[in-house]
Amino acid sequence: MSRPRQAGPGPLTSLALMLYPPAWRERYADEVRALLEDAGTSPAAAASLAVRAASAWVTMPRHLHDREARMRASVATVLVAWSALTGVGLVFAQLTQLQGFRAPGHPLIQWCYLIFDIALAISVLTAAAGGVPLWVQMIRLARRQGRWRELVCLSLAVVVPAAYLAAALIALKVVHHPEASGPWWFVAFAVLGFGAAGLSSAGPAVALRRLTPGGPAVALATAAAGVAAGTVALAGLASAVAAAGLCLWATSFAGYHHSGLAGVYVLVVLAVAATATISAGRGIRATFLDAGRNGTQAG
Amino acid sequence: MTNRLDRWADPPLLVLASLADEPKHGYAITRDVAETMGVRLSAGTLYAVIARLEAAGLIEPLAATDRRRPYQITTAGRAALAEQSARMGRIATLAQARLRESCGWAGA
Repeated sequence: MSRPRQAGPGPLTSLALMLYPPAWRERYADEVRALLEDAGTSPAAAASLAVRAASAWVTMPRHLHDREARMRASVATVLVAWSALTGVGLVFAQLTQLQGFRAPGHPLIQWCYLIFDIALAISVLTAAAGGVPLWVQMIRLARRQGRWRELVCLSLAVVVPAAYLAAALIALKVVHHPEASGPWWFVAFAVLGFGAAGLSSAGPAVALRRLTPGGPAVALATAAAGVAAGTVALAGLASAVAAAGLCLWATSFAGYHHSGLAGVYVLVVLAVAATATISAGRGIRATFLDAGRNGTQAG
Repeated sequence: MTNRLDRWADPPLLVLASLADEPKHGYAITRDVAETMGVRLSAGTLYAVIARLEAAGLIEPLAATDRRRPYQITTAGRAALAEQSARMGRIATLAQARLRESCGWAGA
């Protein structure tokens, strides 16, 4: 069969293909590029690919389904989203409960604080219990295979938070009353803290993708990621309700009457919590439902 | 209205029909479907259909040549295509018969 054109697929098509799940891209992207080189590419072709990408995520064809890859992807996504939510939660706690005065307003706010504290504590403990065995397994794997880049990525989970805490402690020692110099110290600590959280979670996430560990540690980490995502999302929702409550019932306290800031906070919390819980749900489904289905087929 | 009714041409069925005579790769399928059935399949639609048909075991991939992987219809695919085309044939026969009865239309 003759081929009318021999042009590359174009940047729009490449962008549209990037929207597909990695397993789908690995299997079909080259064929799609070849098809578009033969048939000719256009914005409409790129648009049709982009539109179909959503359904490829929702209903991944069974022959492309890699159970452990799905679990690893969920653990990595939840780790990054969980770090962001925990960081947001700590900022919330600092701005509300750790101000040195009794929390104001409605009893609903008190209940939200309590739910927030308990849920965040459970989330941190669960994340540690599920994440440490996988982290240790990856350290051993990277050392055995001489993967030094991955070792550096994995070490970021410990080195970066330690460096951040050390820097914060030194700064507090040097500057005796940072609260007297206005909000800038707090803003600087918060921004650096989010940077540290991003680095310390992205490192292990990258190592997880490159080392492709398997076995019970991945399943345990995925189950823990599910619980950690659910509880940190609950903490985030409780803090969002409390933030709305503070805007309504505690306007006399400084800083609690900026409804615009509270609205941004609620939107950020909802978006990150949704990302974490959806990804965790997909990982849990791969861990338990697909394992049962595979067992049934094998039997 | 005629164009809108064209949408009832199910893309999976078109792809199966295209592969019924010989294996074809993506571009050959789109060209065959456009020339013989008058339907243009976009790249997004074609590969969504190929993924579904492959997952259902109705088509299978052959060895790729220069990134162009041909697909062939399986035994299950032939059975599904035969069943669907028979059903569509019955609908077409019934529709034509009723049109003839009601207004004397004899078909194209």
